[in-house]
Amino acid sequence: MANLLIQVKQLKKSYRLGKVIVEALRGVSFEINQGDFVSIMGPSGSGKSTLMHILGCLDYPTEGKYFLSSQEVTQLNDSQLALFRNQKIGFVFQQFNLLPRLTILRNVELPLTYNKVSPPNKRELAIQALEQVGLGDRLQHKPNEISGGERQRVAIARALINHPSLILADEPTGNLDSKTGQDIMQMIDKLHKEGNAIVLVTHEVEIARYAKRVIHLKDGLIERDEVIA
Amino acid sequence: MILQSLQIALESLWANKVRSFLSMLGIIIGVGAVIAIVSVGSGSSQQVTSSITNLGSNMITIYPRVARGQGGRIVGENPQEKFSIELAAYMEKFCPSVTQVIPVKQVSGRLIAGDINVNATVVGTEPEYTAVNNYEVEKGSFISNNDNQERNQVIVLGSQLAEDLFEGENPLGKRIKLSYGGQSYLFEVKGVMKEKGGSLSGNLDNQAYLPLAVSLDILTNSDYVSSYIAQAASSEKAATAVSELNNFMAKVLDDENQEQFQLMSQDEILDTVSSVTATMSIMLGGIAAISLLVGGIGIMNIMLVSVTERTREIGVRKALGARNTHILFQFLMESLSLSSIGGILGIIFGWITAYFISQVGNWPLVVAPLSVGLAFGFALCIGIFFGLYPAMKAAKMNPVDALRYE
Repeated sequence: MANLLIQVKQLKKSYRLGKVIVEALRGVSFEINQGDFVSIMGPSGSGKSTLMHILGCLDYPTEGKYFLSSQEVTQLNDSQLALFRNQKIGFVFQQFNLLPRLTILRNVELPLTYNKVSPPNKRELAIQALEQVGLGDRLQHKPNEISGGERQRVAIARALINHPSLILADEPTGNLDSKTGQDIMQMIDKLHKEGNAIVLVTHEVEIARYAKRVIHLKDGLIERDEVIA
Repeated sequence: MILQSLQIALESLWANKVRSFLSMLGIIIGVGAVIAIVSVGSGSSQQVTSSITNLGSNMITIYPRVARGQGGRIVGENPQEKFSIELAAYMEKFCPSVTQVIPVKQVSGRLIAGDINVNATVVGTEPEYTAVNNYEVEKGSFISNNDNQERNQVIVLGSQLAEDLFEGENPLGKRIKLSYGGQSYLFEVKGVMKEKGGSLSGNLDNQAYLPLAVSLDILTNSDYVSSYIAQAASSEKAATAVSELNNFMAKVLDDENQEQFQLMSQDEILDTVSSVTATMSIMLGGIAAISLLVGGIGIMNIMLVSVTERTREIGVRKALGARNTHILFQFLMESLSLSSIGGILGIIFGWITAYFISQVGNWPLVVAPLSVGLAFGFALCIGIFFGLYPAMKAAKMNPVDALRYE
């Protein structure tokens, strides 16, 4: 139990779409240890995006409990949740979600500016993170001046900068060609080997197989929880 | 957090330079208009004030009120018949703040020179009249004490009157006829006055001046003058002089309620003028304030567009750990920067406008620090007020929805 990172118990999430109540999650329970690399797989509409939003502290479940680093997330208020996102979670999105007006360096610095105490050496930390993903020479470029794969590497650098407990990757290769996608997956795999816990949400089997464990979702329930040797 | 929000705000404004400038325009024009209008108001009123002061040095005019009657008869005494020459001397004696008092007898008559005739106000007065009115002689000389003693039938013409009667000829030494009360009197032109314009006692340029004794004894055969012109020792003492004269006249005429006489001082006219210009300033300032308000609405409009456009950015920032207050401050700073930069540009614009108007209107450039501060402060308030709603809208966004926004 000492190295338990995530514990979710009977998570349910329903929301209203017009007159219909959609049950996106209908009671999901699992645990993830520190340093694990877990894929969450499922067809669209299976509830994997909803699960990712809850795991990423972006949304509250309708029912059930979610513990991250032994803290019950469901009991935090909006601004505590924001701080939790800042400190505990690094996001890598399908759409990269870099701010187009800012340079790569400023994009990577961004999470540091929302720290409770903004470190004075933001710039150095950001440069280090960018060097780690091999972009130390593109600091002053804007996101639209670099390739998709490079953008995703910037996003990874941004996710790493606060040394989060969990890296959440939502279809990280979805907008990339397969070659670049493989490069990104290798980089994520390397992060895992360095001890980072990674939760990867995807609908592609080949991508999911980079993980050591795959949770298959279907219709808001866990269909299969498979450990890959 | 504030500095950081400011940096983010300025960056995003800089990224949309043209749009930022256009949305500032309302504030620029509003602030500029407030400053220019207030400045034009106070500049022109300073000009009017100084030209009124120029009319005469601290003049106070004392008139009898029109006698009230009942059923066709005058009840009691006619106040006019208390205004004697002697009273002027007593006023000088008993009112220490008054330096001199000049009795004036004013009648309307017709002046005839050759085949030209002009209706004019003919003022019987004493030599000091020129000093009290800041009035100067152009040619010849003014009425002298000797003229009064000898009852010399001499006349001094206002500049316009001289022009009308003699059409450019030199009137000095010429004889003109004054027709008054069915009689004609012959006068010799002794002098012509410099151009002066309006004053407390009407337009001096259209008047003619006689020795007081002549107008009393020869023209009207009266013992009473039509008014006194008193001069206060200084402008600071003008108010004291007015109350001294009031008290004196009330006692002498046994008229506590001041029903028989009336004082008119420069101060009162200045008060009237300044209250008129103040009303104008308030009215125009109000119009300018409305344009500021419209500018604020423009800012709100742009901010709402900006918040919608950057929904995704808001989602990303929230995902990276921005709290609602971070987002609130970011957008509030943006509208505040818009309005304060707009305010500064407006101050410059208003100042330049005021300068050019003052050049054209030929009055001093007066930019009151109060109006600058007020306009700028108002612009900031508008930035906060109209920025608050869009900023709150941004801050309250749900991160999941914001991230999904296309």
